[in-house]
Amino acid sequence: MNDVWERVEPLLRQVERPARYVDREWGVVRRPDAGYHVALMYPDTYEVGMANQALQVLAARLSTLDDVACERVFIPWVDMSAAMRAHEVPLFTLESCTPVAEMDILGITLPNELTYTNVLEALDLAGIPLRAHDRGETHPLVVGGGPCSHNPEPMAAFFDAILVGDGEEALLEIVASHRASMAAGLSREESVRALAGIDGVYVPSLYLVGDDGVVRPVDDAPARVTRRVLADLDTYVSPTCPVVPYADVVHDRATVEVLRGCSRGCRFCQAGMVYRPVRERPADSIVRDAIASLRCTGYEELSLTSLSTADHSQLEEVLRRLANRLEGTGTAISVPSLRLDSFTVPLARLLGDGRKAGLTFAPEAGSQRLRDAINKNITEEEILTAVDQAFTAGWRRVKLYFMIGLPTETDEDVTAIAALVERVFAAARAATPPGERGGLRVAVSVSTFVPKAHTPFQWDGQLPIEEVRRRQVMLRQAMPRKGVELSFHDAGSSLLEAVLAKGGREAAAGVEAAWHAGAVFDAWSEHFSLARWTEALASAGIDAAAYAAEARDRHGALPWDHIDSGLSPAFLRAERERADRAETTADCTFGDCTGCGVCPGLGVDVVVAGGERRG
Amino acid sequence: MAEGFRLRVCFRKAGRLRYLSHLETGRAWERAARRAGLPYAVTQGYNPRMKVAFGPALPVGTAGMREYLDITLTRFVPVAQVQEGLGASIAEELAPVECGYVSPAEPSLASRLTIAEYEVELERGVPPQELERSLDALMRTGGFETEHKGKQKFFDLAVALPKEPEVMSDAGRAAVRMWVRMGPHGSLRPETFMSAAIGPGRPVAVTRTELFIEDEQGWIRPL
Repeated sequence: MNDVWERVEPLLRQVERPARYVDREWGVVRRPDAGYHVALMYPDTYEVGMANQALQVLAARLSTLDDVACERVFIPWVDMSAAMRAHEVPLFTLESCTPVAEMDILGITLPNELTYTNVLEALDLAGIPLRAHDRGETHPLVVGGGPCSHNPEPMAAFFDAILVGDGEEALLEIVASHRASMAAGLSREESVRALAGIDGVYVPSLYLVGDDGVVRPVDDAPARVTRRVLADLDTYVSPTCPVVPYADVVHDRATVEVLRGCSRGCRFCQAGMVYRPVRERPADSIVRDAIASLRCTGYEELSLTSLSTADHSQLEEVLRRLANRLEGTGTAISVPSLRLDSFTVPLARLLGDGRKAGLTFAPEAGSQRLRDAINKNITEEEILTAVDQAFTAGWRRVKLYFMIGLPTETDEDVTAIAALVERVFAAARAATPPGERGGLRVAVSVSTFVPKAHTPFQWDGQLPIEEVRRRQVMLRQAMPRKGVELSFHDAGSSLLEAVLAKGGREAAAGVEAAWHAGAVFDAWSEHFSLARWTEALASAGIDAAAYAAEARDRHGALPWDHIDSGLSPAFLRAERERADRAETTADCTFGDCTGCGVCPGLGVDVVVAGGERRG
Repeated sequence: MAEGFRLRVCFRKAGRLRYLSHLETGRAWERAARRAGLPYAVTQGYNPRMKVAFGPALPVGTAGMREYLDITLTRFVPVAQVQEGLGASIAEELAPVECGYVSPAEPSLASRLTIAEYEVELERGVPPQELERSLDALMRTGGFETEHKGKQKFFDLAVALPKEPEVMSDAGRAAVRMWVRMGPHGSLRPETFMSAAIGPGRPVAVTRTELFIEDEQGWIRPL
């Protein structure tokens, strides 16, 4: 292993925030003499990547293996990558400052479509050929995973293998398989092929796309790759001694995952579909891991994370116990993105003790009809009650998330967002003592609907960008101004997300062309250029606007048909039809099975820690 | 009336961690105090925070051998126990050097610490004699003008430097030890002084070796 620190250090004097590149944080595990080296990469800056909980979970799992070193890699900011190229310094890992190309395996999570060019940037900086088939015997295996693995095709060409689903056990199996292949002296091709024998692992080189658009295995690889699911989240402790960054990272706090999965069934939400079933961790484990984590990290804030934390059947008990244990320590407890209908008075009181972290709600749509069509299952009364409770409990700011361009949306639905915000503001004002009304703020963040694989809206097209912009203007004009901070996600970025979220294998050439044209950090608005992407995609034969807007045949082939998320196509189709009729479907953790197919298909079951959930 | 026990910690910021900013260093120490389980006091109000205050900021890239922070404890903990606890709770590069209690009525570190001692290491190829001549020449001018954030700023050396800089030489590597007076209007950065004396881009490493309180009896250490 070559430590390149001597070559890195001189560059640090000329770049922003050098703390990103120096390692030596609290909690770092260094195993320079290990026989096998794993690099785990998050394809964005240190500040964004260090907030990723999956990497912490996987690093903690790898640390249980003897003789295995796990090292972190992030994408150097543009000033650093320019300096590295100018001085021929290759991409390095943080822990041992070793060139990434010298690792045995490089694991890359794919959190969203706007990080795709960062993956290519990293491979290029590392000196690893971009396309899997161009790599030689000495290059590390490049293995992907994360949310975007549910439609891996646009990135398939750049990966030797891609894991679909939970990584706690699968990653260890991948490492064991690769180590066995190395010990047996197998070639790269044979080692990669062996990975295809692991449940949940997709080896793109073993599949071809037919003229009908269907992805099929070339030989004995499985016809469909079935998503890995960890049946019981409590099998492993939540990582309690993660690396504590010095730099001000995005979510700079201790985190404990309280449950995985969400079966509320919002029809636009990929996470809610592909992380089923709901698996709660018991209160005892949550409190134990939270206290251990605060003690080990020294953080001043604790976040109880999941897709829908307020749904946890024992959340009030957990908060009460944590409040007792943390009294007088100045420690804040936060719960990300609360569901409006589960924000109760006791919950408001429990979260309001100590420091008040931000409060975020996601009504998603302004009208009841559209909320029913997307299966949000929240009434306006519930929204206003939650706001009243929050402001009565002392909050003075609330953030609301909405979406425009949802299937079946009309102009009336868009202006209904403004009307709802107006009533939210009035409710907040009424619950705030007159002397404190000056600091009252309602932040409204509006994104554009992106159709995602394995959701009931996977066949839908995205609204054309001109129409998105017209509706944005309409909403801005209708929105009350006083006390409301309105922001829109860039419609151009959403268009690109739609193309890549829907895309097949042919999109890889577009991603590569965009990177060659200079696209990197596409999630950072100052670096994103829709024109550059449109041109790059056109060079790959893709008309971006038309591709994003195209609605697909609900019985035809989809580029991700070979990825089995456990959801039955009939369920997704039925849900799509119910959307047209604005019919809602209940959450199976509160009532009857909805027949989504996941539990019987993947051999798992819903795990509710308290035995029962209260709606 | 200030209450509680005011613990003063003298610490390093060295090795790779000299690339931390003042804010990053501060956060690291607050977390170390939590990890060490110190009975720290918290502020009252909407967002309770640890009661901790730091000495003058050290720029990104500059190392420090004796930096200071004050933290208010709600009960007395023996000094040896504090130092051991903190030492085991923070990276080696930020290790505590010394701890002690000071009067809760003591003015803040930032207002009391007015003299900084630096060691500036230069790249090979600057002979000590030549360096000595350049520094003497600059000192004799009495002051110099430099551009800072687009504005011209004049440094009166009699005010900015309370003592003549000294040239040191170790195995062919030249270094300068200098003392800078810090005030509410900022202070002369060693890099600025060195580039005025020998041209830009020459220092390879800057270390703040000591911080002093200036009073009638002379320069005293804060601990």
